[in-house]
Amino acid sequence: MNKALRNPWIYAAFIAPTLALYVLFFLYPVFQSLYYGFYQWDGITDKVFIGLDNFTRLLHDKVFEKAFWNNMYFLIFSLVVNIPLVIVISVLISKVNRLRSFYKSAVFVPVVISTSTVAILFGVLYNYESGMINQVLRSVGLDSWAQEWLSDPKLAMLSLLLANAWQNIGFFIVLCLAAILNIPREIVEAANIDGATSWRETRLITLPLIRPVMFVMLLLSVSGTMKVLDIVQIMTNGGPFQSTEVMSTYMLKVGFRSGELGYGSAIGVAMFIIILMMTGILQLISRRREEVRY
Amino acid sequence: MAKTLQSLSSAEERYSPAPTSSRSLWYKMRQKRLPFHFALLIYIVVTLFPLVWLLLSSFKTNREITVNTWALPKAFNLDNYRAAWESANIGGYAFNSLYITIVSCLLTLALAAATSFALARMKFRSLSKGVYSFILLGLLVPSSALFIPLYRLVNDLHLYDKHWSLILVYCTYALPITVFILHAFMISIPGELEEAGIMDGLSAAGLFVRIILPLSMPSLVTVTILNFIGNWNEYILSQLFISSEAKRTLTTGMATFNDGYRTNFASLSAAVIMSIIPVLAVYLFLQRQIIAGMTAGSVKG
Repeated sequence: MNKALRNPWIYAAFIAPTLALYVLFFLYPVFQSLYYGFYQWDGITDKVFIGLDNFTRLLHDKVFEKAFWNNMYFLIFSLVVNIPLVIVISVLISKVNRLRSFYKSAVFVPVVISTSTVAILFGVLYNYESGMINQVLRSVGLDSWAQEWLSDPKLAMLSLLLANAWQNIGFFIVLCLAAILNIPREIVEAANIDGATSWRETRLITLPLIRPVMFVMLLLSVSGTMKVLDIVQIMTNGGPFQSTEVMSTYMLKVGFRSGELGYGSAIGVAMFIIILMMTGILQLISRRREEVRY
Repeated sequence: MAKTLQSLSSAEERYSPAPTSSRSLWYKMRQKRLPFHFALLIYIVVTLFPLVWLLLSSFKTNREITVNTWALPKAFNLDNYRAAWESANIGGYAFNSLYITIVSCLLTLALAAATSFALARMKFRSLSKGVYSFILLGLLVPSSALFIPLYRLVNDLHLYDKHWSLILVYCTYALPITVFILHAFMISIPGELEEAGIMDGLSAAGLFVRIILPLSMPSLVTVTILNFIGNWNEYILSQLFISSEAKRTLTTGMATFNDGYRTNFASLSAAVIMSIIPVLAVYLFLQRQIIAGMTAGSVKG
């Protein structure tokens, strides 16, 4: 009777277009990327096979090393500043009943704005003469704190991290809040009956039970910060003096500005391997841990 | 049960402060929550203040922004908006973005829905399993690692500087997560309705269009929002693939405008506000769906 659902022609017709696009624009570039990585190639003259030279060069490339550590700054900032703040704000929102949906909608506003717009917005805010940050500092009498936020190599990275945090925190808050509100009411009520205070309830019930979402936030932070690009490219493009260079801006510069397509592809492959290794290690660690059960 | 009740009442005795009226208890509760509200409001004011600042700046002259920083604009003149609209071609860019976003969303929806139906409902179990895991591999590789080969490919296919390059690439990179979400939804639909449809003589395509698609509406809305916002906000690929001024999308157009007008804050503010307003307006009406749609993408974590 299920003949209709065994029609191989329809099955093929439903799957083939998806697979065609997928193979052409995804699988083929993946292999091309690996393939280019073994060649010296400027995109115009003939490719020269150089084996692993691009990858050994990468290991000794000071700029790439700097870029990698800048990506790590993004990750560390996310883990040390963003995620704790996310947890605090989500717990606070979960404790109030009134205005809860207002808070949720308000924190999510920066998330719907495009990264390129956020980058432009913060470029304006960070301006030395008339940007909001310096004007706020001046109006509270901290004139000497006014800084060249984006053109001082010591501060540019911090300025980017703050702009990036401003945009991303709302997303994590909504994820985290959903997990907190998903904790069965009985558990919370039982704790309240046992006389748990608000603080104890948070520490002993909420935080342990939202460990899975914390892990999701960790994974998203790793993959998000290792490939961060738009905001850096528009705000500083890696400058001043490559103080904010990240792996992907470096890859684009090598590949498109210097025209070293082979080396650029090798950087892309390295990025992919780094992300895969980091998320893979995290998955392994998490599998050892016990699953949370209600 | 009795024991629970007993402990309940003893708990109440222990923890409710002597004989208080319900009103002062309510007052105490409210008082307890006030610091929370206070902290949250501070957080929200700090977060949203940059946008308010920008809105006020967009009505000021450049001189006013520097000198009368904290004053409201002298007059709500729209000169900045006119200047930004004329010099930044925001209308044209927004149209390009809208066109590319809608076409690639529809394409993704059609392809992913058909594929998910075939994989989730048709009777080719083992083959489907393989195809499904093959497509989900796409979630592992970040598109940012593939810019160089993608750029070459687009050139080789003679798609460079054509909107179709973006439409096809956006569509391809949205497929894995879209198939993941739709497949999960479709596989949970019970088989009875389908069987009734087969009795009525529907073919597989008929079952897909008449039965499974209408039932999958909620998940179709979710993935459309997810993809719409992703495509609308995409920046780097549109910068790599599109070179002519008239074909730029809103994100790249704004970035170019930013480079040219770095010191003209009044116009820049107006341009940014104009590019934000449509997004915020849509967000105002579809908050719940947008939040659900955008966070749905994180399940891949």
